Amino acid sequence: MSAVSDFPDWGDPNSPANSYRLSQHYVTETIHETSVPNMVTAVLADYRGYDTMFETVVIFTAGIAIIGILRRFGNDDKDAAKPTLYTKKPDLIIDTTCRLMIPIIQLFALYVIAHGHHSPGGGFQGGVIFGASFILLAVSRDLQAAQKWVPEKRILNLAGIGVLIYAGFGLGSLLLGQNFLDYAILHKIMPATPIEARSHSMLGVEIGVAFTVTAIMFSIYSNLASNGSMKEGL
Amino acid sequence: MIVDTICIVLVSLGLLFFVGGAVGVIRFPDFYTRMHAAGKGDTMSVFLVLVGLAVYQLGDFSLGNALVAGKILFITVFIMWASPTSTHALIRAGLEEGQKVWTRDDKKEESEK
Repeated sequence: MSAVSDFPDWGDPNSPANSYRLSQHYVTETIHETSVPNMVTAVLADYRGYDTMFETVVIFTAGIAIIGILRRFGNDDKDAAKPTLYTKKPDLIIDTTCRLMIPIIQLFALYVIAHGHHSPGGGFQGGVIFGASFILLAVSRDLQAAQKWVPEKRILNLAGIGVLIYAGFGLGSLLLGQNFLDYAILHKIMPATPIEARSHSMLGVEIGVAFTVTAIMFSIYSNLASNGSMKEGL
Repeated sequence: MIVDTICIVLVSLGLLFFVGGAVGVIRFPDFYTRMHAAGKGDTMSVFLVLVGLAVYQLGDFSLGNALVAGKILFITVFIMWASPTSTHALIRAGLEEGQKVWTRDDKKEESEK
């Protein structure tokens, strides 16, 4: 506790982290180099693109691991304790509210994803919000209702597609003769200048991240809530 | 000046309701009355605090600030939907699970002890 007072003040422009040349470069040059006003997203999706790509892969792997551990096929468990929270048919009040809220949550998730390079947000956050809307559907009705919209197969496809979209942007720049994930060269196949191409590609990889995160969020929930049987859950 | 006063009054009232809700959660005897305090207190207090903040934003009027105030009001509307519904869902779950309702007889027993 005594060391806390030695920390630099919050937002101190002269603290070591802020006065280092690299951060100065990010703060002053991001807008010129990538035409993205949100420098956090620029660092995350462009300067450190590799890192974020493998973070997406980590989420994908986590989802696959959960499925590998929990998923059980066939209807073997007659003795397994059934969750009894909502035994009756869906409640009118809860049903109506969720009907109103789920579309708004999804719309807001799309806004967070699409606005990630202008304001706080991005693929991870938006994906989590989108996944939460499906979880809300599963909680307010039952797991089957949500499964109708996102069956297990579609979830796994979406998760894979998300990673592939991200890697595809990397491979695209590789094919056009630049380094992996060096988006500027993509201006040849986009109606944009090299600098704007970076901004557009960042939006593209955010969408890829959002696909994976949405799918894996709901997959983890449905596996945990239904004890791996994917039939009945909370 | 007037805007500041309105804002301070609203936020202070909201904090008062927060205190009421918190005291209710601790002091009330059973699950249902506690949810009653938590649900009503939190909904009202969040509403008052957020409206106070929106008014504060509008005090220095510009398009950007109006946008922020609008977003705060959206959050308010959202909470006004979500909070009572979640209270309702919890109470219903408690009822189905068989939580006991506190009655006057319980009070007599407690005072006899």
